[in-house]
Amino acid sequence: MLRLTRIVGNATDATVAERLHALEHDGLVETITLDAADTARKRLRVATDKGTDCAIALARSERLANGAVLLLEEGRAVVVRMRETMWLALGPRDMAAALELGYFCGNLHWRVRFEGTLLKVALDGPRESYLARLAQHLEDGRARLVDEVESG
Amino acid sequence: MAETVEAVAETAEAQAETAPSAARVGIGGPVGSGKTALIEGLLPLFAARGASLAIVTNDLVTQEDAERLQRSGLIPPERVVGVEAGACPHTVIREDPTLNIEAADLLEAQLRPLDLILIESGGDNLASTFSLDLVDYWLFVIDVSGGGDIPRKRGPGIVRADLLIINKSDLAPHVGVDLALMRREAEEVRAGRPVLVTNCRTGEGLDRVAAHLAHDVLMEV
Repeated sequence: MLRLTRIVGNATDATVAERLHALEHDGLVETITLDAADTARKRLRVATDKGTDCAIALARSERLANGAVLLLEEGRAVVVRMRETMWLALGPRDMAAALELGYFCGNLHWRVRFEGTLLKVALDGPRESYLARLAQHLEDGRARLVDEVESG
Repeated sequence: MAETVEAVAETAEAQAETAPSAARVGIGGPVGSGKTALIEGLLPLFAARGASLAIVTNDLVTQEDAERLQRSGLIPPERVVGVEAGACPHTVIREDPTLNIEAADLLEAQLRPLDLILIESGGDNLASTFSLDLVDYWLFVIDVSGGGDIPRKRGPGIVRADLLIINKSDLAPHVGVDLALMRREAEEVRAGRPVLVTNCRTGEGLDRVAAHLAHDVLMEV
């Protein structure tokens, strides 16, 4: 078990990037891939892409993010990669439908974003589960599925 | 000399800010499913592992669960804090967990170093989930007397919890529940996330719960 207790930098920091680049050439950078929601955790047990069992235990003041470097030493580095959140974009038919859709999503405690006239729902579970809940709104045309986009 | 003491204090404070914080584990589930009993069963197991614990309980308008644990003799009373949610229990563990974060921060500041803070939600419905801004890991406790069909009904609490516990296993034959089927259906809806069966009154299965927590968040304490 590799215990990781602090964020030593971010892959976008110039000096860190330089060292990571050198290690990558030798295949010495390991990646931990996390869902965006899981980056809020301060403790988690995960495996890197190379199968190393990692125990992350951070101070509450620290926050995992895309590119967070948890280990950077001679011969090895561990970097966090955040999975992009998938969003379901919904276009309401009119004002009344928009109100109803907003109320409906709020009642289900879904994470949403607003973009112009679209309401975007974060997919924290299978897409089918969300579509099943929205079936009535989609079938009678109160809302239409615009697209599904990836976004951080 | 005074400067030295201050310097030591500052160093200790700085170390505390960068040292790993105590793991925060949420325990949710319907009213009467056995959340407090689970905590009572886990306390001796974690004590045996040498883990330093504190507890935040949530009740609607009372301190009932906090007082039960404070009287239990299983943990020093000052290590238990009660939060009165005053509203839907899930509001204070998900939408605005400020009250619980403050309670956990207070315990951590007063009792440092702590290994684990258990945060027990008030009894709620199957839609209840924890904000990961509040906890690092969360359990959802259901029981066989609530009905063998509960896992089939899914619900975010059942599906998304890091660990699902089916409690009161001994009651299954008395309430007409096929426990093996209930467990199998729970595993099916949880897509590989773990499911454990317990009887908190006898302690059956609690060692496995403690082992899971030790592995996943306490890192083998």
